[in-house]
Amino acid sequence: MDTKPVIEIQHATKDYGNGKGVFDLSFSVPKGEVFGYLGPNGAGKTTTIRQLMGFIRPDQGICRIMGKDCFQKAQEIQKKAGYLAGELAFPEDMTGRGFLKFMADLKGMEDHSYMEELMERFELDPKGKMGKMSKGMKQKVGIVNAFMHHPEVVVLDEPTSGLDPLMQNTFVELILEQKQKGTTILMSSHIFEEVEKTCDRTAIIRSGRIVAVEDMKGLARKRKKIYRVTLQGREAVEGLLREPGVQAWRQKGMAEGVLPNQAELTVTGNLPDVLQKFAAYGIQDLEVRPQSLEELFLQYYEDGRQEKGRWGK
Amino acid sequence: MGEMISMPLFKRDIQVCIMPFLAVFALLCMYTIVIVYMYNPELSDMLSGYQEALPELMAAVGMTGAASDLLEWMQIYLYGFIMLLFPLIFTLVMVQKLLLGQIESGTLANLLATPNSRKKVICTQMVSLILGVALLILLVTAVGVVSCEALFPGELDVGKYLALNFSTFLLQASVAGIAFLAACFASGGRFYYLVGAGLPVLFFFIQMASNMGEKLEGLRYATIYSLLPVEGILKENILFPVQNLALLGIAAALFGLGAWQFCRRDLPL
Repeated sequence: MDTKPVIEIQHATKDYGNGKGVFDLSFSVPKGEVFGYLGPNGAGKTTTIRQLMGFIRPDQGICRIMGKDCFQKAQEIQKKAGYLAGELAFPEDMTGRGFLKFMADLKGMEDHSYMEELMERFELDPKGKMGKMSKGMKQKVGIVNAFMHHPEVVVLDEPTSGLDPLMQNTFVELILEQKQKGTTILMSSHIFEEVEKTCDRTAIIRSGRIVAVEDMKGLARKRKKIYRVTLQGREAVEGLLREPGVQAWRQKGMAEGVLPNQAELTVTGNLPDVLQKFAAYGIQDLEVRPQSLEELFLQYYEDGRQEKGRWGK
Repeated sequence: MGEMISMPLFKRDIQVCIMPFLAVFALLCMYTIVIVYMYNPELSDMLSGYQEALPELMAAVGMTGAASDLLEWMQIYLYGFIMLLFPLIFTLVMVQKLLLGQIESGTLANLLATPNSRKKVICTQMVSLILGVALLILLVTAVGVVSCEALFPGELDVGKYLALNFSTFLLQASVAGIAFLAACFASGGRFYYLVGAGLPVLFFFIQMASNMGEKLEGLRYATIYSLLPVEGILKENILFPVQNLALLGIAAALFGLGAWQFCRRDLPL
């Protein structure tokens, strides 16, 4: 087994002033791993990706892909790399197919069969001009472009934004398929299910710094279920929350839409007992939802710390 | 060649620039043919009359002096204004489409995310730009020669006309170099419009002002347009190869520096 990391960032810093930029980033992605990259808007995800793509140079530190410097050897890296930008910018006068053919020529691709196959899978209508395409349709063009030349490393910035749920599934299938082929993938995302289904490990970045690199399976286990209980009145709610086996679920900014006769809680005790208590307090309605990614990370990393801005969509 | 130029990108550049090229070429053809067509001694008298009636205006656009032959006629009425301004407009549109627009909109990211080095990308854009300007002047020259020969056979000093157009090309290449360099350094549109587009336009207005009278004549040392060796070519002065060399040097330096900066800079993509 090749143990050398395919993507490697060591102490990379890019300081834009005013606390903007990324600071002392270090992580590495071994061959065949799907690596998630999560953080709120403005945390530095795209700045990291720009360094990997060789668009910008780190002030300090090292960025390497396949052992090559991302800025100096960008051209050699790009022979085996695929990229999907976070903000897609395509020439508006070209059609989808025209653009993909142009990119195929620039990549020196002879065989267009995989490109056609991907276009079909993503139900891409390649005839329209890109200037008139919807966000989702452009996203499909970007995905096909990132994978059509059988890259060994793929860097994806918010790959599913704008895709409908059906296409998100198609995308997840594609990622899993690529993972089997041994493709190394780094993707930034904010959708837990997508990260959960595809990523092996995930780095979490806040305010330009990596706060943790987590194993996804471990993270999923830490994810709680949140019960929203509707009772008859405020007294009943307060009474229920004092019961053992029940813990009030309170997180800043998360209590929107909770009425005085409702409570959000997690169950720490035995579930049948707790459900009986719900009944005893005269339950009127019950909703259960999984903890969102935002809540999970807030809980995980913000406990006892001052909250600095919400997670973006 | 294959190492420095990306053919798919070059083909795309042609596709992007063909419409502005045809528009400017059509305008220049029209002016050239009309001016050649208008060449006759009587009209020369009439235009001299204009020069007397509106001396500043006619001087500003470089239309001064009496033409003693067809080439001088063309020089006076085409190379003081029209052959300076329209290629400049074409150049600015090209730099916008080939470089600045691609950086600003982010479409450049698509190109750099392929196995084409920055050097190759910028060289291709540079070649597209220079070839575009060269082809424009070349075709206008051909139209000039053909229309002169058709309307006034044998009256044009073709050698000097070619020399005048060659120098015009060098001048326009230098001006293109200013815009190119600015686009390579610009981190936002404002800097580019101020320097890359603003400076050539300013030079152009200084040129017009310096034409207007002796008081402002000193201004001609403040504009690149006075490097067009009009006198030198018409009078076979020894200075004109020097001016050509100066223009060539300026163009090479501006393009070289721009490409160097493009290869090493951070790109906001």
